[in-house]
Amino acid sequence: MSDPLLNAVEDALNALERVLLGKRQQLRLALTCMLSQGHLLIEDLPGMGKTTLAHGLARVLGLEDHRVQFTSDMLPADIIGVSVFEPASGEFRFHAGPVFCQLLLADEINRTTPKTQSALLEAMEEGQVTVDGHTYRLPKPFFVIATQNPATQYGTFPLPESQLDRFLMRISLGYPAPEVERKLLLGGDTRSELSTLPRCLTPNELVEVQQRCATIHASSSVIDYLQRLVQFTRDSELFSYGVSPRGALALLRCARTWAWLEGRAHLVPEDIQQVLEPVIGHRIRTAEDIGSHAGTRLVNELLAQVDVLG
Amino acid sequence: MRQISRAAVIWQLIAFAGVVIPHLAWLPFWLIGLCLATPAVRLMIHTGRWPLPHWSVKLLLILVVAAGLLLSFSRETGMDATVALLVAGLALKMVEIYHRRDALVLLYVALFVCATAFLYHQSIAMALYALLNVVLVVAALNSIYQDPLRTDLIRPLKRSLRLVSLSLPLMLVLFILFPRIGPLWSVSMNQQRALSGLSDTLAPGDISQLTKSAELAFRVRFDGEVPGPAQRYWRSLIYSEFDGRSWRVPGDYEHRYLGAETLAQIRRSLSYEVVYEPSNRNWLVALDQPLSAPQGMRFGPGQTLYSVRSVDRRLHYRLRSALEYRLQPILSERERSAYLQLPNEGNQRSREVAEQWWQEADQNPERFVAIVLRQFSRSFTYTLTPPPLGQEPIDRFLFDTQQGFCGHYAGALAFLLRSIGVPARVVGGYQGGEWNPYERYITVRQYEAHAWVEYWIENRGWVRIDPTAAVSPERIVETADRVFAGDPAFLADTPLARWRFGGSGWLVDLRRQIEALNFNWHRWVLNYQGQQMELLAGLMGQVSMLKMVFALLLPFASVMLVMAWMQLKGRRAKPKDPIDRALQRLISRLERLGIPRRTDETLQRYAIRVVTEYPELSAGMESLARQDEAVRYAGKSTQRRDLLAAINDCYRALRTVRRVDAEDRGK
Repeated sequence: MSDPLLNAVEDALNALERVLLGKRQQLRLALTCMLSQGHLLIEDLPGMGKTTLAHGLARVLGLEDHRVQFTSDMLPADIIGVSVFEPASGEFRFHAGPVFCQLLLADEINRTTPKTQSALLEAMEEGQVTVDGHTYRLPKPFFVIATQNPATQYGTFPLPESQLDRFLMRISLGYPAPEVERKLLLGGDTRSELSTLPRCLTPNELVEVQQRCATIHASSSVIDYLQRLVQFTRDSELFSYGVSPRGALALLRCARTWAWLEGRAHLVPEDIQQVLEPVIGHRIRTAEDIGSHAGTRLVNELLAQVDVLG
Repeated sequence: MRQISRAAVIWQLIAFAGVVIPHLAWLPFWLIGLCLATPAVRLMIHTGRWPLPHWSVKLLLILVVAAGLLLSFSRETGMDATVALLVAGLALKMVEIYHRRDALVLLYVALFVCATAFLYHQSIAMALYALLNVVLVVAALNSIYQDPLRTDLIRPLKRSLRLVSLSLPLMLVLFILFPRIGPLWSVSMNQQRALSGLSDTLAPGDISQLTKSAELAFRVRFDGEVPGPAQRYWRSLIYSEFDGRSWRVPGDYEHRYLGAETLAQIRRSLSYEVVYEPSNRNWLVALDQPLSAPQGMRFGPGQTLYSVRSVDRRLHYRLRSALEYRLQPILSERERSAYLQLPNEGNQRSREVAEQWWQEADQNPERFVAIVLRQFSRSFTYTLTPPPLGQEPIDRFLFDTQQGFCGHYAGALAFLLRSIGVPARVVGGYQGGEWNPYERYITVRQYEAHAWVEYWIENRGWVRIDPTAAVSPERIVETADRVFAGDPAFLADTPLARWRFGGSGWLVDLRRQIEALNFNWHRWVLNYQGQQMELLAGLMGQVSMLKMVFALLLPFASVMLVMAWMQLKGRRAKPKDPIDRALQRLISRLERLGIPRRTDETLQRYAIRVVTEYPELSAGMESLARQDEAVRYAGKSTQRRDLLAAINDCYRALRTVRRVDAEDRGK
């Protein structure tokens, strides 16, 4: 472990673990997503630490962050910005919205209407927004960390597939383990520690990490395995539709980052298995129940059916 | 309600054609047209040129076909009408197959039609063809469960072949063991189609018709000794009434009136079984004098054998016959007058010459017969195409034409005997038969039909005399086909007869072998119900219900076991790569030791698990995992040799571990 960059990322992980106790796997996945230049969707019940995670990530990665609380009466302009007439100059001037930042925390994204949700689409995919015919570029890097409540809750507008597909990963945090929760209860508010988190990576280092991850060697055996997995989702009757080529690419990108985080210069099937559920869980659906995302169950089935060794 | 694939439609067409072809020979022409037209229509629909027919068109078709069936088959409601209805239904269904349900209906009916072919032909070729049809129909069944978007034509056939070949052993077991149940209803076969054997009147010319036919009459297998050709007189009918022109078999009332004849002083008897072809008549054949009548058969006049029902299907029966015997040594008055019956007048010249010879013979019947036979052999000729005889047939035959075949000679001799007061009768049946050395049985064909005479001598009873033997002795000693070979009238109605029955050398040999095969087919397959109990008793001793049930269950259970084993084994194909092969060998060995690998488990993680179970393997497994990762994932293909060595090391180490384990357990 002589790589200083890897050490820095490990430091970031350790720091984050101080505010989110016992969630090392989820933190690692979230970091993997960020290092793969992808947007992250955190789906969980309220009060599980979604926002804490987002803030923590922004801090340790040294990114300028904005937070937007999505509500049902929100309009696209509330996120992107608006042109206002200035009597002094007699011109319209563009007032940038909260989207102009390096890390946008979109809290409870499914509380707002599809119209507003879609306003984020261009920003996420193209890294730019268009207002009144003018295209404004967003800063680089640009990340969106969105949190959402489970779709079964009241007052939610489920994200359409096209929007879900823009998120590289979807993770959920889950309840803490009993001993961790006890520590949490005894130790008091961990939120206050957020401000004490160190900044572990500079934006330049972040770009360099991203470049390194892309060079991880993927042997034909690993690609075979990945293809078998993807093909299975397309052929099997368990799935109503299979993983798209974009999904397959996302899987490879995340697996590479994961391998780099493990300190390896090549991919192994385990890297794919580790990121499989967060990457494709929100991109697949069961054949019998088109309305639900039974991602975890399907991914387990997928893993059990596709042989690693071929 | 799923739509079937396009390949499935093609398969329906193939299956349809397959099952209908055997019926084309007899179906009315318009139905054949329908069978050709509907697949053509379906093909037009298939290629997208025509739409599926509207319901009104279908209704019209149904009405037209129903009317056609009524018109064609209004006179009979038998088998032909039923099969024609099935075929017509099949043809109509062809037009509208679209959903899986339609195809299922079509194919189930097709299977039924396939079976009806056996009503018309039961040959080996037909059985093989029916098997082919089953393969086709199963392939079609298979195809309708294919993905509608897939148009694979060959795969259903492959699957069907596999299924059918897998089920063949079960079919055999069922055939051998399944109890034969008599028909619940009897199907009346078409009377016209059946061939008649002999006729119940013997007018000059009748037997000549038979002589031209090479159809099979019956086959005989002897248990032990086989009688020589000159002894093979197969009796069928007694012609005892003469009306001045022809000899007739008396009606049923007259037989009973005469009563049974007694058989005495039996010295030589033979056992044999007869496979008798359907004739639609009641009479059967028996060698000389059968000792008793099998079930369903009775004795007629002169102890000839006849069946209670007319023989509309192939009959299989066993007999024991006497060759040396005395039949009815004492004749009752009623019998005497019946067997002396003659018209009061006619054929005067014959009556006169008979009286003259009777005096020459000193009123001794045997000497009289000898005189007549001497006359026959002196100036008479044997021919299959005799000139017509006219009003006084016996006179014309004896004094003018002097040409004829067995019927002429037998009829004339019996007339002469009766005119001088010796009871006599004409016997009809078959003489000779062809010996098949391969299966040791005798084939008798229709052209071997024959007529001879029995006359009665005080105390000796009925004595057989064959006047034909005096004219043409070779007719009795040789088979008919050799005797008649030079006669253009012989077998004139049977095409290819010369090829089939003439010739010599290998051709005859081949024909006999084919016939032997057919004989066994009839004996063991078509008439199996006769052999079943015998065979089962031979196989399993006392036949009991319990044994039958076990014998039926055992093969099914074993098939299920084999299938289960194949499923569990998961039939993984052997990989070509030596590393993969060695790895698979190692893993399957480990799995047998109780460490199954999960499919999502990489070799590295599996190795960790193996090592926790067998710590002594740790070095080997760790090196294996490392090498595997290097070769498989890190792109270091130069280390393949090391990996193979590591796998083989592990495999070898595992064997010693096992041995140590076993020794430990031994202690």
